[in-house]
Amino acid sequence: MALGALGGRLANWGRTLRFASFALAATLSPSSYGPATRATAVRQIYFTAWQILLPFLLFAALAGAIVMEITLKVAAQFGLAGYTLELILRVLVLELIPLLTALFVALRSGGAIATEVALMQIAGDIAAMQAEGRDPLRREFVPRVAAAALSVLSLTVIGCALTIALAYPAIYGFSPWGFDEFTRTVGKVFGLATLAGFSLKCALFGAAVAVIPISAGLEADRRKKTAPLAVLGGMVRLFFVLGLIEVASLAARYIG
Amino acid sequence: MSEQGYEREPGVTPVPRGLGVRVGMLLGFTILIAIAFVAYALYARGVFEPEQRLFLVADNAEGVRVGMDLTFAGFPVGRVRRISLRQDGKVRIGVRVPQSEARWLRSSSVFTLEVPLVGEAKLRAYTANLEDPPLENRAVRPVLRGDANAEIPRMVATLRQVLENIDTATEPGSNLQESLKNARIVSERMAGRQGVLGAVLGSEENAAKILGTIDRANRLLDSLGGVALRLDRTLAKADERLFGRGQIMEETHRAVGQANAILGEVRERLRAVDAILANAQAASASAKTAGANVAAASTDLAALRAEVEASLRKVAALIEEINRKWPFERQTEIRLP
Repeated sequence: MALGALGGRLANWGRTLRFASFALAATLSPSSYGPATRATAVRQIYFTAWQILLPFLLFAALAGAIVMEITLKVAAQFGLAGYTLELILRVLVLELIPLLTALFVALRSGGAIATEVALMQIAGDIAAMQAEGRDPLRREFVPRVAAAALSVLSLTVIGCALTIALAYPAIYGFSPWGFDEFTRTVGKVFGLATLAGFSLKCALFGAAVAVIPISAGLEADRRKKTAPLAVLGGMVRLFFVLGLIEVASLAARYIG
Repeated sequence: MSEQGYEREPGVTPVPRGLGVRVGMLLGFTILIAIAFVAYALYARGVFEPEQRLFLVADNAEGVRVGMDLTFAGFPVGRVRRISLRQDGKVRIGVRVPQSEARWLRSSSVFTLEVPLVGEAKLRAYTANLEDPPLENRAVRPVLRGDANAEIPRMVATLRQVLENIDTATEPGSNLQESLKNARIVSERMAGRQGVLGAVLGSEENAAKILGTIDRANRLLDSLGGVALRLDRTLAKADERLFGRGQIMEETHRAVGQANAILGEVRERLRAVDAILANAQAASASAKTAGANVAAASTDLAALRAEVEASLRKVAALIEEINRKWPFERQTEIRLP
């Protein structure tokens, strides 16, 4: 029984990985994008990124301000005030904001997408499309994957920029004379390798948030009660993968 | 099923107009920020600024890492780009210095690597004279290492020795303890009735004796003072008697002067007698022929004259003698006879 459950899970992971590779390959190939696909993608981005932009930025600013304040105080208490900006950049900008963004989008859109796909599966739309000879992957999934990934990237970039912009007045006030030191610290933290690793991590976050809910939705069959199971399994898997990416990125940067 | 069937059902979620524009704005803004930030990061890393290289040679690169700053007066002027081990076993630390900061480094600059107990190592540059010629590109300089960690074992060894010494010095029965005990006894005596004297002499009686002696000496000195006063007065009186107006010395002086004058007169008289005698001799010589009696008389005259001359010489000698012997005579020169 336990072995069967384990086998089922492994099979689910295998399906997810296979779907992910197909979906990403299709998303990256320009031939996938027709006018209808583009329209779906645009709409998806609108719901995933634009609608939550303001609350997300408020949340990022609030969380950032609190973390900055704590870092400033603690660093000053330990006599390490000179390292405050570097700490903020490394902890907040490089780690916390991207992870929070991915979780935000996963909660806001991942669940919705998984449910949508599961409902399509239950309604038999996907099977119908396949029967008509049209590729549901290109028609329905590619725009969603592209949109979710772009949304995550976009929100991450804007959130990080906001945090960096807030860090300056938090540390130096509104004096322009901290700019040299600020620039030097930014240059120190954001090396080329760091920038590349950061971009890769954000892209992986985006891909996970885009692909895993759809793949989870596809696990539903025509029975209605399979939908909650599929969505739940997909969300758990998504959180696990996001955590894994974060840990792997930390390990790559700071270990070895 | 038509293609429309796969579209989102209208009314379920309101889709505003100009949706494409908004999404385009969002994506465009994202790309703009990303490009701007990458450009800023590259600018911050000095990609757009020409750099010059500097190689620092150290025995030990412990604590040095790529990306750490080279500071001048607390301001970062360069950044470590590469650390490599040379063939001779020394470490070469490659530093990139932006051209704008290179003016702080001169040919006479000294570079140090300080490894504190807590915190990261620090590479520092010191330039004594900013007028010196600038540091050339690809210059190789030694780096002096100040390592707090390396100092600790030596310090601990020294400290242990010091502590052992202190231990030996302070244990019961040690010299220091004995000295302190004696010092306490001495200070107790000092605080006693006879004060410091009692402490120095060891007992109260000795101190009392010394005090008695001092008193006696004081009395003796007092009487001596009286004696000296009286002696002084006596001397003053003697002085008065001896040298005062109309006193002994003056009278003596005057007597001697008178004796001198008298003797002078005697000498003059004798000279006159001498002259008369000479004339008489000459007269007798011209009247030789006058007779044998006259000849005999002239012979007597010659003897008399010799006698007078001898007397004259004696008187002169006497005057000289007086003049020489008398100490208050102005002419101090001694004339030999």
